[in-house]
Amino acid sequence: MKTLLSALVQGNRARFVVAALFAVAFTFSAAGARAEDASTTNAGNPISPVEEFSQQLEAFQKSVPDLNTSIQNSASTIDSVTDAEKARAEIDKLRATVSGLLGAVSDNGPVSQLGVKALDHIRGKLKALAAETRYKQEERLFLIDQWRKLETETQNANKELDDARVQFGGLLQTLQQNEDFISELLEIRQAEKALEVIRHLTADIRDASSQLNKLIGGIKPPGA
Amino acid sequence: MNGTLRRALGLTAGVVIVGAAVVLFKPTSDVGYIEIKTVPVAPLTQTALYIDSAKLAPIKQGNAILQERVGTLRLQADGLAGALAPLCDIVVKRNRITTVTISVLERPPRCQCRFSGSNAARACVS
Repeated sequence: MKTLLSALVQGNRARFVVAALFAVAFTFSAAGARAEDASTTNAGNPISPVEEFSQQLEAFQKSVPDLNTSIQNSASTIDSVTDAEKARAEIDKLRATVSGLLGAVSDNGPVSQLGVKALDHIRGKLKALAAETRYKQEERLFLIDQWRKLETETQNANKELDDARVQFGGLLQTLQQNEDFISELLEIRQAEKALEVIRHLTADIRDASSQLNKLIGGIKPPGA
Repeated sequence: MNGTLRRALGLTAGVVIVGAAVVLFKPTSDVGYIEIKTVPVAPLTQTALYIDSAKLAPIKQGNAILQERVGTLRLQADGLAGALAPLCDIVVKRNRITTVTISVLERPPRCQCRFSGSNAARACVS
């Protein structure tokens, strides 16, 4: 932090700000951008849908440890509070975090859409190679074999994403149902019972957190 | 290149990048989710479904989770003479998931809400 501050103070301020903005924009666009038609460039070179999917998947995997930290922190906070209203506010925060991740892997979300595009691209390549006459037979077979391997890896990655989507959806549902029940309890001034439900929910969330960690850790981006 | 020009270019680049970031990274405060389950489960649902007028991709393995804007959306299917037949309304709330099961064997398909709204209208709520 000190180094960053001194860099800001001691000149090169504009360059530093532009670089920081660029880094922020790059991170945000990687996380939130809708899938565009293989148009992302790196030093001017277009990247294939498979590479783009792989990059987005890695970015998604990297964001999941934050979720786990967030879940653990919220669970600890909820454990320690004695006020049901405050604990409910923590659950609400957690719901927002899970919702953000579900957005990335939802069927119309950026990562899933890229997965579909990557598979379409691979299948298009395989179709084109089947009719290709430029290469020798063994070269063509080699290329087909490589694309088939990539197809299998991409299908597997998509399958893992499907599982993650179901898990995140389930977690969000657990959170909202418990929150609704807690609200009802608070309405009839059953704060002690609400706290009991919150504590049970904390245990469920911890369990879901470790399951999600294992699941997301198992996703292999194609070509990795 | 002199320093002033470089600074001006840097500033312009900064403005463009921040603008792009704002457009690309929309805040998630106004979105929720719809979980659509189809019965019977099929590898790909053949029935064309629409949310408002947007056609949905075929549903894989009888389950799809879609991110949608907050509000009341209408789930529709292909009806007679090319018109869309409304199946039910779905209330999407911020950071919440609303589940609806669609029986695709019936003509027109039928909605079964996991939770229904208290009003008389056929609306699924979270």
